[in-house]
Amino acid sequence: MAQARLDRREQVTGWTFVAPALILLGLFMIYPIVWSLWMSFQVGKGMNLSFGGFANIMRLTKDPVFLRALGNTFTFFIVQVPIMIVLALLFAVALNDSTLKFRGLFRTAIFLPCVTSLIAYSTVFKSMFATDGIINEALMAVHLIGAPIGWFSDPFWAKVAIILAITWRWTGYNMIFYLAALQNIDRSIYEAARIDGVPAWARFRYLTIPMLKPVILFTTVISTIGTLQLFDEVYNFTAGNGGPSDSTITLSLYIYNLTFKFMPSFGYSATVSWVIVVVVGILSFMQFLIARDRRRSS
Amino acid sequence: MTSTTMAENTGSAATKVGVATSAAPFRLIRRGLVYLLLSIAAFISVFPFYWMIVGATNLSADVIRGKATLGGALFTNAATFFAQVDAPRIFFNSAFIAVVATALTLVISSLAGYGFEMFRSRVRERIFGLLLLLLSIPFAAMMVPLFVMFSQAKLVNTYVAVILPTVASIFIIFYFRQATKAFPTELRDAAKIDGLKEWQIFVFVYLPVMRSTYAAATIIVFMANWNNYLWPLIVLQTAENKTITLILSALTSAYTPDYGMILFGTVLATLPTLIIFFLLQRRFVEGMLGAVK
Amino acid sequence: MNRIASRRGRLLGLALAGISFFSVAAASAGEISVWVWDKAFNGDTMREAGALYTADHPDVTFNVDDSASQDDIRAKLQTQLLAGSTDGLPDIVLIQDDIAQKYLQSFPGSFEPLSDSIDMSVFAPYKVAAATYDGKSYSLPFDSGVTGLFYRSDYLEAAGFKAADLKDITWDRLVEIGTEVKAKTGHLLLDLDLNDTGVIRMMMQSAGQWYFNADGSLHVIDNAPLKKALETYAKFYTAGLVKPVSGWAEYTGTFTSGEVAAVPVGVWITATIKANADQSGKWAVAPIPRLDMEGSVNASNQGGSSWYVLSSSDNKAEAIDFLKTVWAGNKDFYQDILIKRGAVGSLLAAREGDAYKASDDFFGGAPVWQDFSTWLSQIPSVDYGTFTAEVDSAVQAQLPGIIAGGDIDAALQAINDQAQQQMQ
Repeated sequence: MAQARLDRREQVTGWTFVAPALILLGLFMIYPIVWSLWMSFQVGKGMNLSFGGFANIMRLTKDPVFLRALGNTFTFFIVQVPIMIVLALLFAVALNDSTLKFRGLFRTAIFLPCVTSLIAYSTVFKSMFATDGIINEALMAVHLIGAPIGWFSDPFWAKVAIILAITWRWTGYNMIFYLAALQNIDRSIYEAARIDGVPAWARFRYLTIPMLKPVILFTTVISTIGTLQLFDEVYNFTAGNGGPSDSTITLSLYIYNLTFKFMPSFGYSATVSWVIVVVVGILSFMQFLIARDRRRSS
Repeated sequence: MTSTTMAENTGSAATKVGVATSAAPFRLIRRGLVYLLLSIAAFISVFPFYWMIVGATNLSADVIRGKATLGGALFTNAATFFAQVDAPRIFFNSAFIAVVATALTLVISSLAGYGFEMFRSRVRERIFGLLLLLLSIPFAAMMVPLFVMFSQAKLVNTYVAVILPTVASIFIIFYFRQATKAFPTELRDAAKIDGLKEWQIFVFVYLPVMRSTYAAATIIVFMANWNNYLWPLIVLQTAENKTITLILSALTSAYTPDYGMILFGTVLATLPTLIIFFLLQRRFVEGMLGAVK
Repeated sequence: MNRIASRRGRLLGLALAGISFFSVAAASAGEISVWVWDKAFNGDTMREAGALYTADHPDVTFNVDDSASQDDIRAKLQTQLLAGSTDGLPDIVLIQDDIAQKYLQSFPGSFEPLSDSIDMSVFAPYKVAAATYDGKSYSLPFDSGVTGLFYRSDYLEAAGFKAADLKDITWDRLVEIGTEVKAKTGHLLLDLDLNDTGVIRMMMQSAGQWYFNADGSLHVIDNAPLKKALETYAKFYTAGLVKPVSGWAEYTGTFTSGEVAAVPVGVWITATIKANADQSGKWAVAPIPRLDMEGSVNASNQGGSSWYVLSSSDNKAEAIDFLKTVWAGNKDFYQDILIKRGAVGSLLAAREGDAYKASDDFFGGAPVWQDFSTWLSQIPSVDYGTFTAEVDSAVQAQLPGIIAGGDIDAALQAINDQAQQQMQ
């Protein structure tokens, strides 16, 4: 968006509008962040800290738990984000059909999970995923499995359960973004394509997807950050352990443990936090680059 | 970016075209599949809600056994809950914190979103880019320095300490900035010609036009504050100042948790967000519209 | 524009002042505030102790806060001590024994040494040892985590076992018994959670060992009791005697619903088991089995916690006097909390009281409290060190491999390596 240079008065007005937010962010965010950046160069336990240079970064490379947490976080991110985004897109496209009955009902139902309080959600999910829980019983009733799955006693299934739970909670949230964006698309383009005999999948692929690209980018960035900071689900479902066998521990949970559960090792936990920042920075940059390239080529 | 208004969109969405009869059987099957898919999704989404409500009517032992039908223990659970939790006080704390935090967040973050979008400058663009990156810092990493700040200011165990760090929300600033892209600049130009000052434009022109964006943001921010856990946990010290989210969490980790009672509490704790969602949801779908353009 | 901005600022200031108005000041002087984590157990116990003290000292009142879970209390305590901020901290806090050293050593000067004013020899020695640092003991020992093997006497009897068959046995023998019970009654022996190292730790402590050497360094690779404990743990699984569970609800739900035949656990579980009145008479308690090796005894510990007085407290003198008067002196109080709350304290003399001598019909009329207090005095003292949480998490990381029949020595090596990293 090309805009004329702002004059002095408008510059001042601009600063006035952003000032309250910037002052608050400066106080409650920048200061703690600078502090944590400084801490990431400190080594030691509890209150006995000393400058350690890059010692914490070296420690990262040799720390098996950190590597597991990084691996799990990436697994969650790579598997869960695409599943959720595809599902959200599908639901949104289905619900965008104005001839569909009960649209409001479906929309509300699918959006409901993200309004749930975390405690309700984790209490209910934990009992549903219990060995004798309703999920196992349902799966056994339809003969999908022969014996109950130990959802949180098996490293593989624990990951699956976490992915299912996050997908349950956030798909509707993302769907709403797509739904809103779809309503923005001029319907006559679709009708024209339909009359020209373009099949549904092709309309989806060559009309819907390109037009939703900015939204997909937006939700992907938000979901990426959300998944890389994943904490609530693993903390509540595994009693704060990230188990079994660290199979669900995430970077955020590890930071929490390093800060509150273990002998406090602040410098090191700050370093792990900065890993998330760097990863998000790189991923967001890549996502923006890809989006920009596509926009140029199209 | 086009600045099509919502009215136009709704208009075009409502345009109906006759059904092509030649592919009717195929369409029918597809339509059936769509309903099936949506019904399954809706069922899965709603089931835990059903389960929660059913649990609130059953005794703890039945909840643990996974009993999925309504029971007769609703009043027992309610009585236990109200005996153990100072519900009026705790819900007041939660409501007060969530309402004040939501109001302040909407004001401060929408001002900033408007400011970043309407008055672009190189410095502010840089700052905005930096803010987006800072969005990714886990809160746990900032908690100790924040706590030090609040304890030096003698504000530990106050509502202020819970509310203040949340009101300048980068996510909501980002959201409002995106939404502002859809705000018709002609409106602002016209208002300027009429001699309105910038703050008057914001209050009398921008606010009413963007009310659906505000509705959407209200749900998101209220939800986040109502469910906020980690920071209130650290900064609220005494029982009478705690929020329902904290109290419920503590109840679940008792030696002998009473799940019927806890689920009764979770039903109560979910109500406010549900009510706000139902009140605002019509606007919510429209509100998101602006943000993602 | 400036005018407006400043008016907005004033408005904001006013609004904030309004909010502060609602906030509540910290505890008043003369009121002793206490953090506990379970209303029915340690909460009500402390309330009762407070009421006893207030009766004689009307100027001292108590505010017992049970609105946070134990994890929450740990997170809050650690944040405040790290921030060097003492506002909002209580006068007395309950801390589980196995993490006490972390606080005592990481935050020297934050807690009051109690051994200066209270005679510690009246308490179970292992409890006092857990809170001793630099020659001083910092806690008033509260509930004991003395372990017992709680079992369903009806299932065991159906399989042909009597109480005597379970007395002072080894874990290996328990596996044999469990196998027979499973064959005859269809009930699994026990339920275990791979996110919890409780059983492994109680086995290790029964041999007087922990994860660390006396100098605080790791003692994992050549730790024979730990190795034996991991082997035993694997045996439960290979013999097919375990119902896998996850989380507290499922763990307790499994034995209270009668699904498994036994629970090796700390005495504090009693209230949870007795909550099911319809199972009265169907339960019994045997001494915890020992490891099949030299030095292991039929007594151990799991959990258990103690009271600590914070140095920042304005009511230190009153708090210490209260602990001394009620918790270190009142035998009748211990009878009362045993009957009402099922709390087995650590005051050795308490066992002479009537409640401790009484038998319990829920447990088939056996004098279980005498038994528990006998075992209590036999628990080997160990030094829990400062890194128990770190090593626990390293052990948990290896458990799925171990129960699948993995090599124990390799697992010990991996535990050692991971813990070494974490202890930097």
